[in-house]
Amino acid sequence: MAQIQAEIQATPLDPVVAPEDSSRRFHLPGWLTLLLRNPKARIGLFVLGTMVVLAIIAPFIANAESATTFNILTTRQAPSWHHLFGTTDQGSDVWAGVVFGARRSLLTGFLAAVLATALAATLGITAAYMGGLVDDVISLITAVVFVIPAIPLLIDITAYIHNRGMLTMILVVGGLLWAFEARILRGQALTLKNRDFVHAAKVSGESNRRIVFGELMPNMISRIAAAFVLVFYIAILVEAGLEFLGLGDSGKSSWGVSLYWATVNSSVLQGEWWSFLFPGLAIGLTVLALTLILAGIDEVSNPRLRGIPKKRTSRSRRSAKA
Amino acid sequence: MSAGLTEPAELEVQGLTKYFRADSAVRARSFVHAVDDVSFTLRPGTITALVGESGSGKSTVARLLARLYAPTSGRVLFDGDDLTKIRGRRRTLAYRRQVQMTFQDPFGSLNPAKTIRHHLERPLQIHGIVPKSRVDQRVYELLDRVGLVPPGRVATKYPHELSGGQRQRVAIARALAVEPSVVVADEPISMLDVSIRIGILNLMKDLKEQHNLAFLYVTHDLASARYVADDILVMYAGQIVEQGPVDQVLSSPLHPYTQLLMASVPDPSVARHEQIEVTRGHAAAAIDPGEGCRFLSRCPIAIDVCSRVTPQLVEARSRQSARCHVNAPAHVI
Amino acid sequence: MTATSSSTAPRPFGRSEPLIQLRGLTVEYATEAQPVRAVDGIDLEIAPGEILGLAGESGCGKSTVANALMQILRPPASITGGQILFNGDDLTARSSEELRKFRWRNVSMVFQSAMNALNPVTRVGTQFVDMMQAHERISRNAALARAGELLELVGIDARRVRAYPHELSGGMRQRVIIAMALALEPELVIMDEPTTALDVVVQREILQQIGVLQRELGFAVLFITHDLSLLIEIADRIAIMYAGEIVEEAPADEIHRAPRHPYTIGLMQSFPPLSGPIVRMAGIPGSPPDLANPPEGCRFHPRCPHCRPEDALLYARQTTERPRLRLVGEKHLVACHLVEAET
Repeated sequence: MAQIQAEIQATPLDPVVAPEDSSRRFHLPGWLTLLLRNPKARIGLFVLGTMVVLAIIAPFIANAESATTFNILTTRQAPSWHHLFGTTDQGSDVWAGVVFGARRSLLTGFLAAVLATALAATLGITAAYMGGLVDDVISLITAVVFVIPAIPLLIDITAYIHNRGMLTMILVVGGLLWAFEARILRGQALTLKNRDFVHAAKVSGESNRRIVFGELMPNMISRIAAAFVLVFYIAILVEAGLEFLGLGDSGKSSWGVSLYWATVNSSVLQGEWWSFLFPGLAIGLTVLALTLILAGIDEVSNPRLRGIPKKRTSRSRRSAKA
Repeated sequence: MSAGLTEPAELEVQGLTKYFRADSAVRARSFVHAVDDVSFTLRPGTITALVGESGSGKSTVARLLARLYAPTSGRVLFDGDDLTKIRGRRRTLAYRRQVQMTFQDPFGSLNPAKTIRHHLERPLQIHGIVPKSRVDQRVYELLDRVGLVPPGRVATKYPHELSGGQRQRVAIARALAVEPSVVVADEPISMLDVSIRIGILNLMKDLKEQHNLAFLYVTHDLASARYVADDILVMYAGQIVEQGPVDQVLSSPLHPYTQLLMASVPDPSVARHEQIEVTRGHAAAAIDPGEGCRFLSRCPIAIDVCSRVTPQLVEARSRQSARCHVNAPAHVI
Repeated sequence: MTATSSSTAPRPFGRSEPLIQLRGLTVEYATEAQPVRAVDGIDLEIAPGEILGLAGESGCGKSTVANALMQILRPPASITGGQILFNGDDLTARSSEELRKFRWRNVSMVFQSAMNALNPVTRVGTQFVDMMQAHERISRNAALARAGELLELVGIDARRVRAYPHELSGGMRQRVIIAMALALEPELVIMDEPTTALDVVVQREILQQIGVLQRELGFAVLFITHDLSLLIEIADRIAIMYAGEIVEEAPADEIHRAPRHPYTIGLMQSFPPLSGPIVRMAGIPGSPPDLANPPEGCRFHPRCPHCRPEDALLYARQTTERPRLRLVGEKHLVACHLVEAET
């Protein structure tokens, strides 16, 4: 028995493995740290962060009222110290319009992305893992939604629905944009589902639900994050587009609505570039930031794009070759 | 720590068969006979080696036992119950408590996104092996038992922080967590460094003795089979062609395929290796094989009847059976 | 023969001019941190027509040696020291055009997986033609005819020249790449785990084939594998690599009969025998070191059963000084402080 104990003790934990990893206790922050080191992602996060901060502190840096007021006295003023971004045809302060509009635009885009990503991940991964009839049904639904031209449909829906509130916009945009990501996530889940650790979880007795959410999904974080960022910026663009066409709630302030009013009032033709430029710039910078974040996620997830070999991967691979 | 039965039971496999579709028509006409009428018994406290080359069906047998596939036909009897007839989550879970599996790839069989603790906790939680308050302690005990020390530190690690041998030990610990009676080990060492393999084999031997487990050791490597197993089953083209105590079978093989394997394996102790005949045919499962011996095309001693009648497994010596008309002819009635 | 401690290992057994000489070869991989030395100053010789086995586990550097010899190292890997002499010529000093001609004609390589070497969308014959026409002036028909001959040479029907790689079995594909490696009649064929992915019976067939061809055509072989038991059967001489260094080198039966380095002894203890009594074997505890941070002194010392703090003097040497390859018998070299202590 003692000999057996001695044999078993003969495999102490490799001293080389232990020390460096005591600081990295969690998996996700480690991946996040890598992302933060990526220059593109850093710029993107910084710009997006600035937008978010501005939106949050909007009441402190601008007058909410002035975003939507009618004020004959202050109409059509070019940017000045009083009105940083100038005023619109109606006399509303463009700066206030941008920072308060940020709240609405960013929040709507964010929530639509959350909805779409949740749907895409759940349906896509479940379809891949369960296979068979479940897969067929979900894939059919996905294909139908995917094939429908989203923008025309959105235009139709928003034209008919009388409620033009945020919730409607979130449901409509999120409810249509999930389909293409669902296919992609299904594809990735298909490659994962035949990995031995999934079989092992099944043999341990895990339920299907826990395998989908507990085994497969955590291994697809980077792809899901990419999906989220992608849908986020598409949602921003789509919403801005719908509002620009007059299908949004033109009473509230948001970037797209600002553009709508600027067009309706022919501001550009009259030389009032500020009422159009600044909201447009806000949209453009946000979308650019998200695109950079997306590029950063891609580079972090695919080591080959990074150019320098991942030291850890090559080392851990070596110790288990046949 | 036995499975809680008063007396450890045997796992008896009878006529296990698995066909896969070989064409893509709506009604399949052609089938790959991956596993064809395989029967054996796994006894507590023994390691049985299932030896064969790639495609011979040995991995399919393993997966059938682990219920990752459903058999086309056949029975698996454990303690009187036919396990192939199990339906429903509760009974499936009860089966999984008895029969566990480890996989070949130490990288692939652990979830890269989860800690070692998670891998060992889950089976304990799913099957309620110990009360919640004792889960942590049991995790450390399991790690200790497979030689991963200090267990407190290992439990916090992620798979990529361990070496191949360490991961394979985690996989074994995970299989042991539910206190099974049978562990199916599918090529546990073939992807490990050579110097680490013996450690894992020794671990299997020790666990077999300490816990009276039955192991099914699936491998293509005869030398390790001889080292660790008590009995051996040799598979070819989906069938068992020879079985018996490992030393007996390997020192005096009856079936020409076993003889071919022994002649092919590198053996430094042999002064000059005998040349083998290069022949056509391979160990992989056949599509719609007809009657007749599947080894025919490679067999140096085939006779007329071999092409017409499929040989049965016949006990030609004490406890040693082979599927060969020449070396293990069926008894004339 | 007395033990010497020159900077290059003494090799008094060259009967003729060695075909390949590696002198102090060092290969490094550039990383974000310090460069990693995959091969650390090794000396090796291959005589014409001999089969030299290079054994070691994953990460020991044996494949890197092969790639360095063939001059196919890619960044971030590069040769940072030493020489590779082919018939006296330093390959590291040659231009890439000269190397291109040298490759395959003088030295060719057989890889572990044939599918890494064969183009899946081209017929086998065409791949032969492409390869031959890259090295000499030869018409397509003549090349195809030669391809057929080569296939017959490795035991494949010449008509399979028209097959696609996926139509052939694993064993046949491996034979095809052996045939391709022999096409230009090189003097040295490097084989990097050529049979590891194959079943044991196919492996035996291929090894038999290689043996026959080698005797007929007389090329030298550098056979790289982790399977020491295989090498003992087929190699003339065997070199054991650990953590980027050669730790032992001797004729095959000497390694089998009387291994001297504790790592070699441990490796021999990792292959269970096919006959004789079954005794409990020990293997080697621990795992191969991280080459980014190798152990001080003898790289094997953390795993060595003979490295004990109680033997203070010896321990001090084992943990600070890298042992050098020394002669311990006729043609037998070992790099171990224990061995020095005896001589």
